[in-house]
Amino acid sequence: MSSKNKTISEKTTDLTKLVEWFDGEDFSLEEALDKYKEAEKLATEIEQDLKSLKNDIQIVKQKFDTEN
Amino acid sequence: MEKSLNPLIFSVGDFIAVVNQTFEYAYPIVQIEGEVASFKVNQGKYVFFDLKDSEGSINCFMTVWQLRVPIEDGMKVIISATPKITQWGKFSLTVKSIRPSGEGAIKKSFEVLKAKLEAEGLFAPERKRLLPQIPQRIAVISSTQAAGYADFIKILNDRWGGVGVNVAHVQVQGEGAPDQIIRAINYFNQQELLPEVLVIIRGGGSADDLATFNDEPLVRAIAGSRIPTLVGVGHEVDITLADLVADVRAATPSNAAQILVPDKAESIRLIRYQLSSLLPKILQLIDQKKQSIGGMINQIISTIEDAIDDQSRTVASLKSVLSQLNPNVVLARGYAIVRGLQAVGETIEVETSENIMKAEVKDVVKK
Repeated sequence: MSSKNKTISEKTTDLTKLVEWFDGEDFSLEEALDKYKEAEKLATEIEQDLKSLKNDIQIVKQKFDTEN
Repeated sequence: MEKSLNPLIFSVGDFIAVVNQTFEYAYPIVQIEGEVASFKVNQGKYVFFDLKDSEGSINCFMTVWQLRVPIEDGMKVIISATPKITQWGKFSLTVKSIRPSGEGAIKKSFEVLKAKLEAEGLFAPERKRLLPQIPQRIAVISSTQAAGYADFIKILNDRWGGVGVNVAHVQVQGEGAPDQIIRAINYFNQQELLPEVLVIIRGGGSADDLATFNDEPLVRAIAGSRIPTLVGVGHEVDITLADLVADVRAATPSNAAQILVPDKAESIRLIRYQLSSLLPKILQLIDQKKQSIGGMINQIISTIEDAIDDQSRTVASLKSVLSQLNPNVVLARGYAIVRGLQAVGETIEVETSENIMKAEVKDVVKK
């Protein structure tokens, strides 16, 4: 599944699962290299996201000084 | 001329109305500081008390719904009120708002309300909800002109990215502040897509400035929020009732940002560390596999060697038995083989280990 549209939080969760896989019962040496490459790619994406993504700050138009 | 000097004659009701109009024109709203005496609530709706100092005393009236903080006799307060003469000619102040004044009164009011809300369980740890680990949508209630808000946004931007932040700009001190904050809380709680966290922040200030966050309806609104709340008001040493009722309390607005999102530099370090630990792990596992396979091969070799040893022992044993059955071995022990008919007068052949002899049978006796 492509990680392009995922949030940083979702990507971080995916990366954590991948890292946990290496300590889990499903671990197999045959799959390890592919999983490692996947984790490396995801980590690079997260790093880039963290460096480039800005917070979107919006001031609510509604006024609160009187009852609406 | 004489007629024009005649004083105007009012009816009693008209005169009271004229005096009240004069008051309304001269003092539409007046703020007075004094000490509360004879405080009482009638029918659970109407509040009466006297406001006094060493020079005098005035009757005051207000509704119970306008009471935002606990008031007791002896407490020093500031009221906002309109002066009025009742239809019975009694002068009184219709109070619009009342707040404790001076450190002692503010502290007393704080303690009374704190005890009341605590007894209701509003500060109980089991009510506290967890904040999401990395929220995507947050709502902030603050004054966008306040230094505390600027600190919060700076730390938030420094630490993390990709968060949608909706900010409700409100007054964070003064008479109207609690109601504005309550309206903002209600606004966010009525959103179709609820924010994941509701952050209420304000920088440091005097006890009077922070009194907004000890307002009973505001504290109850925070307690009733469907959205988990994070409150960071004042400096580390300032504790308001809003702090106590919040799901999570931050010491300062900057601390609120630190609680809300992780530090991206720290996260990148952690990710790199996790990745760097994977390759040695794979190599270690390959070594373990190699050792495991080596062990299995040794086991197989050992099993084969054991089987060969068993077979060798069996063959040696058989050879030993066979050697005992060899006729030459029997002859060597002194026995002889006799061939021929065993009858008197017959010639037989006798074989020993060293000789083969011919002999005649002289006698045969049955055993």
